[in-house]
Amino acid sequence: MSATRIVRPRKSVPNGIWGMALFLCAEVSLFGLLIGTYFYLDFIARSWPPYGIKAPSVVLPLVATAVLLATLVPIRFASRAARADRRGAAITAIAIALVIQGCYLALQILLFAHDLNQFSPQRSAYGSIYFTLLAVHHAHVLLGILLDLALIWMLATRGLTEYWKVGVRVLALYWYVVGGVAVFVVLTQLAPSL
Amino acid sequence: MLAPASKQSHDIEVLWWWMLGAAVVVFFGAVALLGMAWFRRGTRGLPLFGERESVPQAMVIGFGVVIPVVTLVVLFGVSDVYMVGQTSPPNPRSTAMTIDVIGHQWWWEIRYPATGAVTANEIHIPVDTRVNIVATTADVIHSLWVPPINRKIDMIPGYRNRLLFDADKLGVYRGQCAQFCGLQHAHMALKVFVQTPVAFRAWLQNMTKPADQPVTALQRAGEHVFMTSSCASCHTIGGTSAQGTVGPNLTHLATRTSLAADTIANTPSELAAWIRNPQAIKPGDRMPDLGLSRTAITALVAYLDGLH
Amino acid sequence: MATVVTPRGQEHVDRLERIWAPRPGLLGWLTTTDHKRIGILYFFTSLAFFGAGGVEALLIRTQLIGPNGHLLSPQAYDEVFTMHGITMIFLFVIPMTTGAFGNYLLPLMIGARDMAFPRMNALSYWVFLCSGIFMYAGLATGHAPNAGWFDYVPLASKTYDPGLNIDFYGFGLIFNGIASTAAAINFIVTIFKMRAPGMSLNRMPLFCYAFLAAAGALLFALPSLSLAALFLELDRQLGFQFFSSSRGGDALLWQNLFWIFGHPEVYIIILPAFGIATSIIPTFTHRRMVMYPLVALAEVMVAFLGFGVWAHHMFTVGLATITTVYFAGASLIIVIPSAIQIFSWIATILTGTPEFKTPLLFIVGFILYFILGGLSGITLAAIPFDQQVHDSYYVVAHFHFVIFGAAVYPILGGMYYWFPKLTGRMYNEWWGKASFWLTFIGTFVTFFPMHIVGIDGMPRRNYTYPADMGWTFLNMLESIGAYILTAGLVMIVVNLFVSYFRGPRAGNDPWEGDTLEWTTTSPPPPYNFPVIPTVTSPYALWDDKDREHDNRRLERGEGLLDAGHQTPASTVQDAELDEILSMPSYSAWPPITALTLSGLFAMLLLGHYFIAAGFVVLGLLALLAWHRNEADA
Repeated sequence: MSATRIVRPRKSVPNGIWGMALFLCAEVSLFGLLIGTYFYLDFIARSWPPYGIKAPSVVLPLVATAVLLATLVPIRFASRAARADRRGAAITAIAIALVIQGCYLALQILLFAHDLNQFSPQRSAYGSIYFTLLAVHHAHVLLGILLDLALIWMLATRGLTEYWKVGVRVLALYWYVVGGVAVFVVLTQLAPSL
Repeated sequence: MLAPASKQSHDIEVLWWWMLGAAVVVFFGAVALLGMAWFRRGTRGLPLFGERESVPQAMVIGFGVVIPVVTLVVLFGVSDVYMVGQTSPPNPRSTAMTIDVIGHQWWWEIRYPATGAVTANEIHIPVDTRVNIVATTADVIHSLWVPPINRKIDMIPGYRNRLLFDADKLGVYRGQCAQFCGLQHAHMALKVFVQTPVAFRAWLQNMTKPADQPVTALQRAGEHVFMTSSCASCHTIGGTSAQGTVGPNLTHLATRTSLAADTIANTPSELAAWIRNPQAIKPGDRMPDLGLSRTAITALVAYLDGLH
Repeated sequence: MATVVTPRGQEHVDRLERIWAPRPGLLGWLTTTDHKRIGILYFFTSLAFFGAGGVEALLIRTQLIGPNGHLLSPQAYDEVFTMHGITMIFLFVIPMTTGAFGNYLLPLMIGARDMAFPRMNALSYWVFLCSGIFMYAGLATGHAPNAGWFDYVPLASKTYDPGLNIDFYGFGLIFNGIASTAAAINFIVTIFKMRAPGMSLNRMPLFCYAFLAAAGALLFALPSLSLAALFLELDRQLGFQFFSSSRGGDALLWQNLFWIFGHPEVYIIILPAFGIATSIIPTFTHRRMVMYPLVALAEVMVAFLGFGVWAHHMFTVGLATITTVYFAGASLIIVIPSAIQIFSWIATILTGTPEFKTPLLFIVGFILYFILGGLSGITLAAIPFDQQVHDSYYVVAHFHFVIFGAAVYPILGGMYYWFPKLTGRMYNEWWGKASFWLTFIGTFVTFFPMHIVGIDGMPRRNYTYPADMGWTFLNMLESIGAYILTAGLVMIVVNLFVSYFRGPRAGNDPWEGDTLEWTTTSPPPPYNFPVIPTVTSPYALWDDKDREHDNRRLERGEGLLDAGHQTPASTVQDAELDEILSMPSYSAWPPITALTLSGLFAMLLLGHYFIAAGFVVLGLLALLAWHRNEADA
């Protein structure tokens, strides 16, 4: 919904941001339950991971998460640029974030495939929750990347209207929360090794 | 639940009557208030108190907060602090014997680990004896519920749940599966026999013996039918080559009062009807139509009827 | 009092009529984003599902009218009772309260012209419709879900239920959850941001508080169900081991996840009913609700506390005693906000001058049955007693009194109450009262005996029962009650149907209601209000000064917001005017997106994962197209 005739700057948070914030509440709830499931199964297990499965190696996942968190910087920059009417800067910042996020996702997919070679989600509950937790997280990252692309395209073709200014802020909110959740996800993933 | 045969069931029954009494008072109190509202529908405010808003407000606090808090604290204390200990799983060291009850789709396997006795669809216990029931399942979730004796306990894969049976009245009590477990959940009942210690010991003694040998020629023919048809691949008859574990143990079938998890009586004609067409009695049950001839079935029934 | 339009005002009204003119014909309905049309679509769709669920109930009751019934085979019975639960909960009561009543009335009550996200609102409806058809496709193809609406594993696992039955349910739930999540987001933003300037939070109708609480609970509870369904389908389709105890999984994981959703769900079901009741009571008793702020707080508390009690559905699974004691205690605490509301309602009726017309009769029925169901619920918090009657007909009695007696009665009363507003005609009051009494008696005769057979040992979900248990007479009574109840419900529908064509014309405000929907015409115009209403008190319509003020503003042409499809957005707490928003008018993208989702879930069901991925791509493209057009002017 584009706003017309704003006589002064808005005082309250725009509807679009409210909508994304509430959607993210549901997603945070989802991740909370996924992580809860992980520790529930851990709690009732005799050994976790089960015999024969090595505890996950720590370095690469942590480095990857740090890289993802680093992309929050260009994302924030994009949000502020949009508010300041600087369309070019906003597009560039999102593009930078997009590239790094793409690399992050590629790395995570490689690690995921590597893990699948070591153990299977079909042979243990550990495998089931491990791969499902990671897959749901990666799906959210993929969705974020698609949002990056969509927003770049809209800014380039429709311009930095009031609507798309809110759009960039909505994108930023999405990434802040996905980044935050990523920390909890990686800590859960690596819990047996920490 | 209203014909208790144990202290636990009796206490739960008493709790129920108290709760019912309180509920009746509350419900009819509300009815009275609404009735008063109808009679006084032309007048604003209350009798005596007029239109002062503080009075209905006090009503809301009084009936909506104070009285419920008091009543519920009492209820919580009595049932969830005091009584809950009685229906909790017994400490195994406090019980005189253990019985394993294993739920199957759609029958009950009963094992007496101390003696190795195995039966189905009937639990025998001595009166006034604390019995540790260990409830497990071979397939899906079931729930063992014998209301006169105690609360129910669910049988969940991977869990060994325990329940106390401590009956104080001789008799035969019916129980039923109380967790939807598939097509024949409605026909998964069992009987609990509360016996004198002497009678119980005699029963248990018999259960540990191997199966009676067939006596008459018809029974021998029936035994032959049993061992050569697919019966033996699902059922066990102790001391014979039939060691199947898919269906109930039939070693002492003739001592049981009912068949097919208390669905039909254990009489020769019912047994014959069951063998002839189990799907007509328990559609969806695991026992197939074996396609046996009438003579084969007659012999089979004679054999099984001799398994005391 | 309702808005009066003078000739000068009429010019402004005509301009608004032109701007907001609806697109004609079927296409207009398919691409609508008008909350009122969406509400009507939800109403008739959920009513149809109510009929289906009712037929399922009658099949159950006819099968159980005597022992050893042969109407339904065990397979058929299991599918029927499962579909009855699924239909009534996911396809009737939630869509009817949130989708129909909520969508239609919320913007009207807060003085807005539409919901915050009109296109997403349409998407919620189409996804709901498609998910309902998806699940019923299971029934139509002979593969209806058949493990009960709680779908416990391992019974619902591939090993014990190898066909597609459970998959229709698992995927169907995730599909349906999208509609409800989107609706919850829409409700919360609308309530917080779209209220007419001046309607601060402490002046908002209690109906809105109830819906806010229900929407908040939906948002946080649904992920648990979706996750459980995801785990179930991963186990079933790909051989994962979430629920297999031999591989480290746990059957109780399902139960926990299901009930973490399932318990808040019952409060989500009943909170809108509270909202409807708190709208009807002040109107028919001609007085304000006793202790309005406390009632609003109680409504929100119920939603909040509802998240802490889920394991009271699991008292017999073998949890540690201390755990069961905690959950029983928490369950008892929820009684307090419910009791506060009940006595506030009773006190309001008692101290007002009630007119016992049909809507209020249904609310009185609701109060009585809510107390009855609530009392049986309290008894179930006594753990040893629960452990006796769990999974027996006592529980079936309890939840039918609270779901049917308490959540559905306000729906029925609300249908009568708002009928004149939606249709511009008045229903027949004599038949209305008759329909109430028939329904009330039918409800009692059907469900009260269930307490008794339950205590007498009759378990639930049994397709038949033996003749020698002493349950026969009461079961027959329950079945007769079901037919009486059906007659009552049919009478309601017929009354409203006939009155739609032949009822006397009703004006804007036949009841002297207290909320803003009564200020506008019956039925409301597409733009709801010619001027955005002035609000300075919690009982907007009883504030004559404000309504006079609106009339003068209409004459002067102030507050029309007629530069396009416009509505105000205001600040959250004090509702100061913050922005003028342009609303979208028509869009084909919501139904198209719903279709792509249908394709996705159908392909997942059938195991064609690449094609499913294709539908995901199509869905994303549809979303892109959707957002290319900002709201039309």
